[in-house]
Amino acid sequence: MTASHLVTLVPSLNDARQHSWGAFMCAENREKKVNGRTIRLLQHDITLLEGVDAFVFYAQHDLRLGSGWGNAIMSRGGPSIQKELDALGRIETCQVVVTGAGELKAKHILHAVGPRFQEANLEAKLKKTVSEVLAQADKAGLESLAIPPMGYGFYGVPLPMTAKVMVDTIKEHLESHKDSKLKDVVICLNDKREIAPFESRLSALN
Amino acid sequence: MERSYKAQKVIDRLGQKLNRQVVGSLVACVHCGNCTDSCHYVLANPDDPTYAPAWKGDRLRKIFKKHFDWTGRVVPWWVGAKSPETDADLEELKDIVFGKCTNCRRCTMNCPMGVDFATFNRLTRGLLVHVGIMPEGVAVVSKDQWELGNQMGVLKEDYIDTVEWMSDELVDEVGDDKAAIPIDKSDVEVMYTINPREAKYDPRTISDAAKIFWAAGESYTMPSEGWDMTNFGLFSGDDELGGTVSRRVYEKAQALRAKKVVISECGHGYRSTLCEGANWAQFDVDFVMESSVQTMLRYIKEGKIKVDKSLNISSYTYHDSCNFARSCGMTEEPRELLNLVVSDFREMYPNRAENYCCTGGGGAMSMTEYTPQRLKSARVKADQLKATGAKVVVTSCHNCVDGLTDLIKHYGLDMEVTQLVNLVANSLLVEKAAEVPEAEHAVSTTLAFAGRTILVVDDEADARRFIATVLEDNGATVLQAVDGDEALQMMRDKKPDLVTLDLSMPGKDGGRVFEEIRNDSELSGARVCIITGKPELRRLIYERPVREPEGYINKPIQEDVLVSNLRRILELTNKAA
Repeated sequence: MTASHLVTLVPSLNDARQHSWGAFMCAENREKKVNGRTIRLLQHDITLLEGVDAFVFYAQHDLRLGSGWGNAIMSRGGPSIQKELDALGRIETCQVVVTGAGELKAKHILHAVGPRFQEANLEAKLKKTVSEVLAQADKAGLESLAIPPMGYGFYGVPLPMTAKVMVDTIKEHLESHKDSKLKDVVICLNDKREIAPFESRLSALN
Repeated sequence: MERSYKAQKVIDRLGQKLNRQVVGSLVACVHCGNCTDSCHYVLANPDDPTYAPAWKGDRLRKIFKKHFDWTGRVVPWWVGAKSPETDADLEELKDIVFGKCTNCRRCTMNCPMGVDFATFNRLTRGLLVHVGIMPEGVAVVSKDQWELGNQMGVLKEDYIDTVEWMSDELVDEVGDDKAAIPIDKSDVEVMYTINPREAKYDPRTISDAAKIFWAAGESYTMPSEGWDMTNFGLFSGDDELGGTVSRRVYEKAQALRAKKVVISECGHGYRSTLCEGANWAQFDVDFVMESSVQTMLRYIKEGKIKVDKSLNISSYTYHDSCNFARSCGMTEEPRELLNLVVSDFREMYPNRAENYCCTGGGGAMSMTEYTPQRLKSARVKADQLKATGAKVVVTSCHNCVDGLTDLIKHYGLDMEVTQLVNLVANSLLVEKAAEVPEAEHAVSTTLAFAGRTILVVDDEADARRFIATVLEDNGATVLQAVDGDEALQMMRDKKPDLVTLDLSMPGKDGGRVFEEIRNDSELSGARVCIITGKPELRRLIYERPVREPEGYINKPIQEDVLVSNLRRILELTNKAA
């Protein structure tokens, strides 16, 4: 899936039932090219995204989908996703597993267990988790991927740290993995207030 | 012994969160004991000193003295300075601040020194949540509110479907297309915000409010997002969640250019949105906010709606919500409104700011591990309710509705719970609906459950018979099962469209049956409506060991409630499997 696909497909969700807090954003400081690939910001319900091969879910160690986005994945995607996860058992911090996306628009979900609640070496673990997400995306041959603000919100990772780690790690990955098929990495935000820290980090990229 | 990582983080965080008000409360307590008799937990547990607000407050005070107060450095043995050292210490602290206090602030009101115990109880909750120590229900609900925008995990499409369904029902009822509920209409006078419990389990309150707005000729809208005015940040002590949730409501009101945000009857939602949210969110609010109680009262006073109190024929008392009355001073408006819509009002004592908590406040309904002590402490409230002699208790808070419902069942009181919006809507005098043409009439009288197969699971023959009769009268094909095993087998064999499941059954209880249904790959997508008065229901709703039920109905069952709830489930929820 290419960048142009994303631009055309996402605004087609022009139905109040499906839109999240805001609308598609394409301002210049919300998009950056790295090695001809795109990192962009989008404010949307990540589970309803069209035009991406996969999205990331900040998972629990026992891989129970649970509440929040997990609830949305379960309700909208059907029971097959949890069934796949049940077969995988348990994973540790910084590990990522890939499942199908059931009846959702994306093809896959990357379930990533990142650090939480001020645990030790928070930033390093977050970076390792984001790197692992990108490595798994490459392994699965994905061309487009949506990632939420990893660890921010319920799990208490400070928003500036999330923005810095995500933007920097994605940039490094796209620069250093020339064979990666990833063409679009979408940072999919939930609230308007989450935009500014990502915007400033993105605009600071050389 | 080296201090645990989390314990150190809690101490560090306390240093960041201390402010003048908190420090004032931490140093001002003289242990006079005045707070003791004000706490419903103490009154129900007179021999257990660990429920006393001063004792509970000392748990944080000891940490403060140890690390942040000179007395703890100079005379630690005298002032009881002590650190939490292990994760087990933090778990113990969790059981006190979440399990032994509802942050009702009654002790605060009764402290001669002005110690605001509820404020630092909330602060302590926030310290623990910061390191991930919290009851499971608090975690589930907080995550839902962070990520899905409301604390009951209502998906956007389900919320909008529910509002549209209520809108259609109302238009049919009053025979006027203008009664349709607008969604995301700009430049309106009022943006109406609700508690997600209304969308999920009690949509009648939405249509009742809409009926009142319609009758008053109000220019209003419901928002498609930022509609949840509740705020679990108030309960969990997470100011960042508090700010995020409030900001969603404020930003939506500004986007729609609404002149006023009306907050439906919810104590903590009112306090969070009106009193605390702007501070948490650091947001300049440039519109008016008010409770729907004030709105309804104004409509009557200004002659925008007319009511007939003889339409509400029972005897009524009023329960003051802690957040609504004690924390926000909303004591007279609800009484004035209630007296305009009912004839037989009986005051409860003590009342207003001195009223006792419903025992479901501070997020207690979601913390099911503490249910036994919650219900034990509810004896105080039960005695208060009983003394009024009223048949109906009215309250302006959804938490109180659930808390009171649980304790009424637990103590066997012959009472119902309702809200002012229901009473105002019921007493509303509106023009008779337009005459429906014959053809349309035929459509509207199509039986609600025609072509549907519904399995009724209940061990009581009378209950089964009543539910089955109502459903068959409405066109359903009814199957009946007397216990869980029979129900599971029937579900496999007959594949009903919906199951009504009693929780109180001998042998395999309904909760276990429900979990088996959800964990069974063949049955997991079935639509289930729980029928109960048991607090076990709260665990299924808040902790969600499995995907929650599609609906629930309290016993004793009212026919109209049964039909409307089952219709909502059948018409609005898709089978997930």
